[in-house]
Amino acid sequence: MAKEKKEQALEKKEEPNVLSRRNFFKVGAATAAAGAAGAAAMPQKAVAKKLDEEVKKVVVKEEDDFPHEFNENYKPHPSYASVHGHAFFGRALQALGVDVDMEAVEQGDQLLQSINYGHHNDKPGFDQISKAFVGGAWAISNAGGGPMPGAVGDFGLMSWDNNDDKYPLALMDLNYVKKEKAKFESKEQAANTIKRAARLYGADLVGITTQDDRFDYSVQFNPVPPAARKIFPMGPKQLEGMQQMGGEGMKQAMESHTPDKWLHGWEKAGFKPKTVVVLAFEMDYEGMSAASSEISAAAVGEGYSRMTKVAHQLAVFFRQLGYKAIPSGNDTGMSIPYAIKAGLGEGSRMGQLVTYKYGPRVRLAKVYTDFDFVEYDKAKSFGVYEFCKNCKRCADACPGKAIPFEEEPTFEPTHEHKDNAYFNAVGAKKWYLDSKKCFEQWVELGTDCANCITSCPYNKPDFWHHRLVDSINMAMPGPVHSFMREMDKVFGYGNVDDKEALKKFIDPKGKDYDGFGS
Amino acid sequence: MLLSIFSGIEMLFFTLGVISTLGAVGLNKLNKMYQLDWKSWLTLILGVFIIVFAIAWSISSVLEGEPRAASMGMVFFGIPGLVLMLLGRRFVLKCETRTA
Repeated sequence: MAKEKKEQALEKKEEPNVLSRRNFFKVGAATAAAGAAGAAAMPQKAVAKKLDEEVKKVVVKEEDDFPHEFNENYKPHPSYASVHGHAFFGRALQALGVDVDMEAVEQGDQLLQSINYGHHNDKPGFDQISKAFVGGAWAISNAGGGPMPGAVGDFGLMSWDNNDDKYPLALMDLNYVKKEKAKFESKEQAANTIKRAARLYGADLVGITTQDDRFDYSVQFNPVPPAARKIFPMGPKQLEGMQQMGGEGMKQAMESHTPDKWLHGWEKAGFKPKTVVVLAFEMDYEGMSAASSEISAAAVGEGYSRMTKVAHQLAVFFRQLGYKAIPSGNDTGMSIPYAIKAGLGEGSRMGQLVTYKYGPRVRLAKVYTDFDFVEYDKAKSFGVYEFCKNCKRCADACPGKAIPFEEEPTFEPTHEHKDNAYFNAVGAKKWYLDSKKCFEQWVELGTDCANCITSCPYNKPDFWHHRLVDSINMAMPGPVHSFMREMDKVFGYGNVDDKEALKKFIDPKGKDYDGFGS
Repeated sequence: MLLSIFSGIEMLFFTLGVISTLGAVGLNKLNKMYQLDWKSWLTLILGVFIIVFAIAWSISSVLEGEPRAASMGMVFFGIPGLVLMLLGRRFVLKCETRTA
């Protein structure tokens, strides 16, 4: 009897629907072994990368054509047809007979005065220390790119010169086009090489596309005399030295750059580019969280400095491959459509490019070249445009109400200044920003604003849970997007004019300055 | 000490692995004590998953410097996870016990 009971108990223990401790550990060990074997078969970090690639395959869609429509009214516009163009170069444009927005000129003077000299010690985020952040951040762009932010290129490091030999007085100078042209085994290899070079120099995202007349300015405006493009800005001692060396010749060189020489096209470069390499640079998340302030302006400026540095370096790289190149920031062509075409991201309600990895928190630069043996990237979409239709968070956050609230994009501007929208590329289907209202806010602040970028739900640090939410957004219909936007607010993301963000930016907590951990 | 060797996110996912294992062991133990029906399995597994997700979300938010997102993560994911676990417990208690 006792033996029978013992056997029954044993049978019960081995019931197939019960996972015994031994079996549980067996299953666990087998799974771990399979996982370890799978992981070991892949190179280091490849497992996470593979997973990321699989998610991207589901979420990111490749487009065969440029994903935005154009109507018959669309035509490329001159490089000066922007509020910045009128505000900063209005007086020069008058000499060309352009109908200048004089209100923008006055505002431009006011803004430049504030940018160059202003700080307010009683205003957090606008004090002397914050301003010092701006000075350092913009330093490379100011010295090396000069008027590039105002869409005037061919200056300093952004020079269009494709010399055929090194500068004779330089000890080391590789900034010349080599006679021998480098050969690549395949277009794919060429693309990989170019992208690797751009990443080495400091670009965060790189895409390659064909040169497109639709996106390049119809004419390039450059009132800076060629003689001043390499040596500007000059200090008093430099000026004195120049005069001693032959100031009269210098003066003549400056004066000979008459308005009839201020406009040019590709003939200035001596070639028409075939390829455009588009570069994106992440702007500091904590810095941008402090928008609007001089701290966010510093994050923007740092992006501009990296644009200048990397575009110049990549241009030299092409020249050393034996090809001509033109480094470009805001000048020469419109960076956002080029970035969309090169697959770096999508257009958005606020007009900025929204990238998969950094959202709108990027700055863009380009390098034009005659090299064309390369694999071109395709435009990609991952649901930003659809999300923008319902979100409108940037439009709410804009202090100047410069961003439209219309649900659907349009071919024409719909804003208050639509009848004189000299600053809009009319005829492209998109949301049209009222740049005049936007600029008025900059003038009021005394610096650039960036509230739209900071408030965007796509502006997040590079963490897994944000990519998860982005993927869910893409799969969901419009009403869910409105809900997601509200949740983004509830979770405390995208706050603007947040004084705590200024403190957090400086706070050493969580930041590892000495490499020993904090 | 450990954070000077591993990054916060590495520590997080290691901890999540430990918590998931403990959850699986706990469920296995319950299954040995009770004859669990599909409702119990569903609510308990979902509950464990959501609580693990809430922890992952909240710690990730702390690591990225967004404390409000961390606390909201606990409210929006942690509470439903706990509710599901409690509901699961009620379902479990209604199940027949297994005889030793």
